[in-house]
Amino acid sequence: MMGPTLSMVRKEFLQLRRDRALLFIVLIVPLVQLLVLAYAINNDLHDLRVSVLDEDRSPLSRRLVEAVYATDIFVPGPIPGNSTELEGQLLEGRSDLALRIPPGFSRELLEGAGPDLALIVDGSNSSMAGRGAAYAQAILRGEFARLAEEEMLAAGPGATRLLTVPRFFFNPVLESRIYMVPGIMVMLVTIIAALITGMAVVREKELGTLEQIMVTPLGSLQFVAGKTLPFAIISLIDLSIATLFAMAWFHVPFLGSPGVLLLGVLGYLGVTLGLGLLASAVSNTQQQAMFTVWFYLIFAVLLSGFFFPVENMPEWAQVLTWANPMRFFMNIVRGVLLKGAGLVDLARDLWVLAGMALLTLSAAVASFRKTSA
Amino acid sequence: MSAAAQPQPAVWARGLTRRFGSFTAVDAIDLDIPPGEVFGFLGANGAGKTTAIRMLCGLLKPSDGEARVAGFRVGAESERLKRRIGYMSQRFSLYGDLSVRENLEFFGGIYGIEGEALGERSDQLLPRLDLVGREEELAASLPLGYQQRLALGCALLHGPAVLFLDEPTGGVDPLARRRFWDLIYEQAAGGVTVFVTTHYMDEAEYCGRVSIMVSGRIVALGSPAELKRESGGGTMQEVFLKVVAP
Amino acid sequence: MNRVLAIARKELAHILRDRRSLAVAILMPLAMVMLYGAAIDMELRGLSVGLLDQDRSVASRDFGRALSSSGFVKVVERLEDREQVEPGFRQSRFLAAVVIPRGFAEDMASGPEARLQVLVDASDAATAATADNYLKAVVALVASREAELSSAAPFELRTRVWFNPQLRSPDFVVPGLVALILMMICALLTSIAIAREKESGTLEQILTTPVTPLQVILGKVIPYVALGALDAALILLAGRLVFGVPMAGSWWVLAAYCLLFIFIALAVGLLISSRAGSLRVAMIAAIIVTMLPTMILSGFVFPLSSMPWVLRLLCRIMPPTHFLVIIRGIMLKGRLWFPIETTVLVAAGLLLMTAAVRSFRQDLE
Repeated sequence: MMGPTLSMVRKEFLQLRRDRALLFIVLIVPLVQLLVLAYAINNDLHDLRVSVLDEDRSPLSRRLVEAVYATDIFVPGPIPGNSTELEGQLLEGRSDLALRIPPGFSRELLEGAGPDLALIVDGSNSSMAGRGAAYAQAILRGEFARLAEEEMLAAGPGATRLLTVPRFFFNPVLESRIYMVPGIMVMLVTIIAALITGMAVVREKELGTLEQIMVTPLGSLQFVAGKTLPFAIISLIDLSIATLFAMAWFHVPFLGSPGVLLLGVLGYLGVTLGLGLLASAVSNTQQQAMFTVWFYLIFAVLLSGFFFPVENMPEWAQVLTWANPMRFFMNIVRGVLLKGAGLVDLARDLWVLAGMALLTLSAAVASFRKTSA
Repeated sequence: MSAAAQPQPAVWARGLTRRFGSFTAVDAIDLDIPPGEVFGFLGANGAGKTTAIRMLCGLLKPSDGEARVAGFRVGAESERLKRRIGYMSQRFSLYGDLSVRENLEFFGGIYGIEGEALGERSDQLLPRLDLVGREEELAASLPLGYQQRLALGCALLHGPAVLFLDEPTGGVDPLARRRFWDLIYEQAAGGVTVFVTTHYMDEAEYCGRVSIMVSGRIVALGSPAELKRESGGGTMQEVFLKVVAP
Repeated sequence: MNRVLAIARKELAHILRDRRSLAVAILMPLAMVMLYGAAIDMELRGLSVGLLDQDRSVASRDFGRALSSSGFVKVVERLEDREQVEPGFRQSRFLAAVVIPRGFAEDMASGPEARLQVLVDASDAATAATADNYLKAVVALVASREAELSSAAPFELRTRVWFNPQLRSPDFVVPGLVALILMMICALLTSIAIAREKESGTLEQILTTPVTPLQVILGKVIPYVALGALDAALILLAGRLVFGVPMAGSWWVLAAYCLLFIFIALAVGLLISSRAGSLRVAMIAAIIVTMLPTMILSGFVFPLSSMPWVLRLLCRIMPPTHFLVIIRGIMLKGRLWFPIETTVLVAAGLLLMTAAVRSFRQDLE
């Protein structure tokens, strides 16, 4: 039973060892990409250019402007001479936000007359627009609160102010990289595992060696096992290296148990490799197999919660994510690494993955009928 | 040429048929091949030879009729049948990026031969295949004649009862072809039944018996000498042409 | 020219005959626009929150009710105990927890201020920061509604968002998708086409004819230019008709820049295929080289300004980054002139194409 399977596994490794280019892609490229992408994927905002048109030029207005530039989120943009220039800068993309303080601002403020302050945001750059605006507003309001405490302003109405005191769990410094790196790891391994397995069987079809194998007493189960084990092992190696690297270089924490993570990994690998094999089974050329896998990848990555939070999606899209193994695995990886989630916390996700793995692998085995009807 | 000496034919078929939609590729053929015979399966391109072989190997389910190979029923017992046969396809399906030895060991392992036995059998086979000294060469870099012998070796390693060879000498030079046929005779002498398709009429002469397929039916069956007699003399080539394109 | 057309026609036949590559070339971009356009939202529109009322007074209950009916926040759980917060985060049941501490009612009555604790699952830092700001704003809103006082802020901060006032996702996603799809499809399909011919030996066959390498390249590339243009048109049309993505600028200018970008993508594909040893490697390399960088290093999703300067430099030499600025500039801002970006794109195109042709020539010899 094991012998023939091991022969297949040995063969796959032998072939892989001789394929230099593929080895490079499978082992080196993911790590390089992890490095690059981890630095690139950064949701923390900084260096947003703010152009300020201060037509008031009072100590008060200067204080407001300084407060804005005091954080490292905002940096000074080009200085406009007038409104038209201000707008032109936004149009040409030379500044990301614009603040216009009208003349007489501080006088009206001290008199309690409620003057206008204009904040304009370049909405075409949506990756930063909403949050940039929110931060700017928060800073300005905060500065006002400070001014009020220093009794520089007429006291507001006698209503009780309601303050919120935030406390951030698991990531007090609010570093977004920590959240992204596990996601990147998942994505990279998925791409490699699915693509390579997807083409593995088709290659044999194209070469004619698949027929040769079907003539032998090798069973469908042994064949599928022989094909998936090598790539499972390689993916495990990739993931381990990536995790160690993430921990050492990026200081991603590992709060939970490796055992739970391993369970999740095994389940996820099962599904992904099974899907790759299925794609192989329905394709006659490597190209077709690759297209099929690619089609799946594009949507799986979108609906996994990696780039775009699942929470924000409309109901129907959230429902779709239930069918996406990547979403559950992403949850498990982030849960174990970043939150210290345990078996009980992740039970649902683990069961779902296990079920999916069973389904796809059985389908893959069934699809390799040794005798065509 | 009767099969009375042996009780169990190595390859037996009655009314074996295969249809693809409305097209009948193999039309009710009958076969009765005793063990140890070298049987030539001739026919023009598209006559249905490969389809017939694929059915006999358990790769394709027959639409009709029955067949038995090495004592096992085609269809119902296909998986057990596969243990007793060896198959060599037209394309010499080898792993080009594996060496000679690695190919042999892979296929041997697939057939369930393990460990020491595997090594021993490979070692014994290599000189007979004239591949000594080339064990570590990658299959893709071997000359065609050597690839062909390696493919045969991979089909022999597990000691099958029946060998199916689908145009095994295509594109190979005459000397290599002759040596290949020496190997085939060796096997036959050891009791292995060899079922071979070929386009080369001189190879047809090497066979014990020969059948000619036209449009899915077997229209002639007998030893080369018999067929030549019935057709009024001439070479096998002339016999063939007369039968296929009357 | 005839020979080039003959090769182009053959290539077209290949494409049309392979249903799966047609599906990928035409169906996938459309499906992507629909899905991405409808599903992606960078803005937090409804925060899942757990509520812990430790005061259990009339005031706190009123506040809790106001919070859950505010429409901005979904109170998915009412917690009994502080201990329940962390497991809730670990199981991803809610993203934040609002704790109304004991003594809340008294503080509200006596003033000057009352405090609420907001606990946030910060494993997703970006969402956490947003959630924090969000909750602050929502709480202030609720408080002012409760007090029924016009919250007379000392100044009126009027925020206007230009070019995409409602921060609608399709306006943001569609331009990025055009870049992504053009890059992936044009690069990937061309690299496959050539690698496949190389592997099957038919390329060698073609070269025994009087055709020159340049003619081969041109002939192969033409159908993919057409396909790329078709895809771009489909995406833009879908974006416009289905999602109402605006077009503030000129269609002609947009078309010209799309063609330039297609040219670049094709050059990338050619380069990959002439370097790759096998079809398999060409395909995987093409996907990895086009998909991830275009999605991540082009400013599509993640702002360039947030990256370390080394990476920012890398991004700035990537064609997709500049193309994105251009296409967003044309569609959302109505700009017509992009001096820097155009220069970079043209330079990149010429460089890549020269490299590709040279590499191809070497390959063939």
